[in-house]
Amino acid sequence: MSEIHEDIRHFLKTEGFLNEISSLQENDSLTETGVIDSIILLQLVDFLEEKYHIEIPVEMLTPENFDTLAGISKSIMKLTQG
Amino acid sequence: MDTTICKNCILDSQIPGITINPKTGLCQHCEHYTPLSEEKKGGYLIKMDALFNSPPAGGKYDVVFALSGGVDSSYALYRLKKEYPRLNILAVQFDNSFISETSIENAQKFCALTKSTYMRLSLDQERLRDTFNKAALSTDAYPGFAKYRASDICNTCISIIKQKTIELALSTKSPFIVFAFSPGQTDAPFIQLTRPFLVWMRKLFDGNLKAMGVAEREEYLIDTRLIPTGSFDHQVTIIHPFLVWNYDKPAFKKECINVGWTDPGLKDHNSSNCLLNAFAIKNHLEKYQIHAYAYDLAALVRQGNMKRDDALKKLILNMSDASIEEVQRELNLKNK
Repeated sequence: MSEIHEDIRHFLKTEGFLNEISSLQENDSLTETGVIDSIILLQLVDFLEEKYHIEIPVEMLTPENFDTLAGISKSIMKLTQG
Repeated sequence: MDTTICKNCILDSQIPGITINPKTGLCQHCEHYTPLSEEKKGGYLIKMDALFNSPPAGGKYDVVFALSGGVDSSYALYRLKKEYPRLNILAVQFDNSFISETSIENAQKFCALTKSTYMRLSLDQERLRDTFNKAALSTDAYPGFAKYRASDICNTCISIIKQKTIELALSTKSPFIVFAFSPGQTDAPFIQLTRPFLVWMRKLFDGNLKAMGVAEREEYLIDTRLIPTGSFDHQVTIIHPFLVWNYDKPAFKKECINVGWTDPGLKDHNSSNCLLNAFAIKNHLEKYQIHAYAYDLAALVRQGNMKRDDALKKLILNMSDASIEEVQRELNLKNK
């Protein structure tokens, strides 16, 4: 789980969505803290699909699944474990 | 402090968040850049052909097309109809109260040329100007990276256009929405809209408007009554054709002029249709020290879609331009 968190943090930092000293917690809302919006969310989805060799169904793009590091990690785990 | 410009693109060390590796001379974006493979691009084309050659029946239109009347969208409309002649298109031009007369003529001309239905989308002009005033005065109404993608004023305008074109696609049961964003402005060629995603998009923009202090927001947002409550009886997909076709702006302009497009002659290097754009860039630079087109242009250079020198020229803005002062006056903003 923490490996997925780190991958996401690394992506957000590399792309400039998150600064180096940000202390984003696993249950912080990515949209409410101003880290991402709907367009950046799609870039994140693209990154996760490539990184984990998965296809994320559009139905899964909900705030519950994709607005926090914890939610995203859970969704990725679910998809990678079939 | 010395400014170092990335050896590959145009981003420089003065832009907040940009670091240039002293060993390679590259910014972090160029260092991590992976070009889109020909295989992937070919797959996008197969998918786009499949969608546009067999649009689902039942909608009033096949495509709701966001047409500004500038080079990119005029060319995209022309080419779309040329490649998929059976498409029934509603072309929507958003009147943000700062579009040039020439861009209106261009839009109407290209609709006639492509046999598309033209629609001028007008909202309350006074409220719009007040909203742009609030966008200009706001700081941090949009998330961090959105500041690099576009100015606060343009983010507001584009978001309104998105919400209203989606609303139109839902109300007319049209399956596709086309935006002529450049490959520097977006990464996703296809976006399938689901109910949760629509609700989320709406909520996010509502939050941005609220942060700016816009009180009357409903007019700018998707009408919630149109967002399906159960399963979608028709799917809406957003398509960005410039992520599928090669992007060559000078060639697009030449072809557009050949078929009747007129250059409005704006001094702005980055817009051929909107009088607000140059002021929006200036306002953004003053607030965040970020040129609103730097990331877009840098991405185009990185992808090989624009020459570096041409992109650098586009970053030059004449701050004393009379049109900038005029826009400032019209938005009731004091001159800095």
